[in-house]
Amino acid sequence: MNVKTLFLAGLLLIAAAAPMQAQVRIDGFLQGLYGGRLDNNNPTETEYTASETRMQLRAEHFGENVEFFGRLDFLYDGALEPEYDWELREGYLKFRLGNSFDFKVGRQVLTWGTGDLIFINDVFAKDYRSFFVGRDDQYLKAPQNAMRIEYYNPLANLTVVWSPRYEPNRLPTGRRLSYYNPMIPGIVGTGMNEMFYFEPPLPEAKFKNSEIATRLSRSVAGFNTSLYFYHGFYKNPVGMQMINDSTGMPYYPALNVYGASIRGAVMGGVLWMEGGYLDSRDDPDGDNPLVQNSSVTGMVGFERQIATNLTVNGQWQVDYMLDYDMFDMQQPAGAFVRSEVRHTVTSRVTRLMMDENLTLSGFVFFSPSDEDVYFRFSGSYKYSDELTLAVGGNVFAGEHPNTDFGQFQQNDNLYLKMTYGF
Amino acid sequence: MKTLTLVFALSLLGLSMFSSPAVAQDAAGAEGIMKQAHLAYYYAGDDGLADVTMRIIDKKGKERERQFVMLRLDLEEGGNQKYYTYFKKPSDVSRMTFMVHKSDEGNDKRWIYVPAVDLVKPISADDKNSSFVGSNFSYEDVSGRHWTEDNHTLVQESELDGHAVYVIESVPKVEYGGFAKKVSYIDKDRMLPLKEEYFDKKGTMVKIFRAEKIEDVDGILTVTLRSMEDLKKGGKTYVDFSQIDYNVGLTDDLFTERYLKNPPREFVN
Repeated sequence: MNVKTLFLAGLLLIAAAAPMQAQVRIDGFLQGLYGGRLDNNNPTETEYTASETRMQLRAEHFGENVEFFGRLDFLYDGALEPEYDWELREGYLKFRLGNSFDFKVGRQVLTWGTGDLIFINDVFAKDYRSFFVGRDDQYLKAPQNAMRIEYYNPLANLTVVWSPRYEPNRLPTGRRLSYYNPMIPGIVGTGMNEMFYFEPPLPEAKFKNSEIATRLSRSVAGFNTSLYFYHGFYKNPVGMQMINDSTGMPYYPALNVYGASIRGAVMGGVLWMEGGYLDSRDDPDGDNPLVQNSSVTGMVGFERQIATNLTVNGQWQVDYMLDYDMFDMQQPAGAFVRSEVRHTVTSRVTRLMMDENLTLSGFVFFSPSDEDVYFRFSGSYKYSDELTLAVGGNVFAGEHPNTDFGQFQQNDNLYLKMTYGF
Repeated sequence: MKTLTLVFALSLLGLSMFSSPAVAQDAAGAEGIMKQAHLAYYYAGDDGLADVTMRIIDKKGKERERQFVMLRLDLEEGGNQKYYTYFKKPSDVSRMTFMVHKSDEGNDKRWIYVPAVDLVKPISADDKNSSFVGSNFSYEDVSGRHWTEDNHTLVQESELDGHAVYVIESVPKVEYGGFAKKVSYIDKDRMLPLKEEYFDKKGTMVKIFRAEKIEDVDGILTVTLRSMEDLKKGGKTYVDFSQIDYNVGLTDDLFTERYLKNPPREFVN
């Protein structure tokens, strides 16, 4: 038994003992997820996009003025070399100071903004490795170590989130899911060569590299309006650093985001609008071909229940790259180059059937300017209060290998998932 | 989305969790009786909270259960209300919260909070006639259809299970998918509905509501166990209220996004 195993055993013992203390409430789920690739001609090491058993334990305790919540995942992952893993997905204290301040301190999942799977001002870490292989929606959000302070007053509510250590998005690494490498250029995976394992270095662990995200929000005429500011780094490694004259290394360039959103009930549905200015601080003039240019982006969305048990939404996002001419000039010949203005439309359809125990859902991203398509769908049946069975799939149908979703075109997959909640 | 609907629906259920001991003294006509019963049923006290357990039994006898805590604040008698719901069971919805600002002008506002992703979301669900959580209650059944939306006729005074009742027929003023006709049996002494029969356009009875148990809670008569039976599809739902507390001093600020994200533990735990 190694140290990690002992540690896990200890945690399990604590978890098992916890219900004996009346104040601690434990629940969670056990889940099996099995996914296979539809395209077996791919550069990854495995034909399984998922082959895992997961147990999540949740524990909560309410003290006099403080509450604790923990969410701990144990995982057996057999998609590649079989391995055991665990993650503290949440572990925080929540307390109130005076009448106006709420604190949430510790490992936590953070979300704000208005989009449905489109994120402009939500610059909190996402986990696309999970998102693309059929794990539950909650896994799209990667946890961050952070302190969240909320200040409430009648004029406006202010939220400040400070993450001492930068937390990036979790992107496909090339092991389980292949991706586009501009240096080759082409779609690569570790099945071709271990050197394609993709894990860019993080910004140094320095105080100045911590992340600050703030939001100021208030209600105006029944609409929820917010202003946002983020200071940190791009969550995807959209920059390249030269290590020497010939070798480049992806990295996370510095980023500020200034944005605003509004959301409210309109015409029997919900309407939202959000916009942001992404200030690429490492490339303010857009003249560095190795670093993402600044951009201005906005979206509008509407959701409505159009019939009994049938809800539909649509979104349209416009992304305008600044200093585009410079960018365009610097692109290598032959590869697809995005337009100055990129359009993306999305739609989600959710249908409930069989006394709402069966949920059918589809979500599509389509970018006419990038000729890029991503479609995800699932059918989930609640056999009982405890047991849920689900099947689903992810299809990447981009025309080009170097667009947001097109790069994952060899990762189309279907999955089967069983969850037992307790 | 299923969960959203579930939460939405369940919360509306809470709209009907309180009732009162009013007595029909000046019920001049059928509409007066219905109004009085409505206020007794939906607007008891100035605020209230309760633990709610719902059992949904399908036509094959298979049972599902939901548990939640419900807070309610009346802003005006017979008018606007605010609701807050905190889910305990089943496991996949536990700790989710849901809030409704119910407006008598019909433009209710609803929000859900999903703690696993720290997501606050307004909900677009204006189909009041859809069934919720696969239960046998529709939104409208539980959120309280305003008495002014129907024309009421007192058809007879009769007796039901040993209680003297008014039998009142209600027909929607504007055609409505929920029912073409409703027959209510209102307890004369307690001014609470004991039974409601719902009919479709063809005149077939499609579902029955029953007040299964009425108890005195702090001097307020409350339907603590109620059921809805679906005669068309089969199946029945029981809703049980416990730990009921009226006039606990809930304040308006509890029904905001702050508490949606940070449940008020003095009431919800």
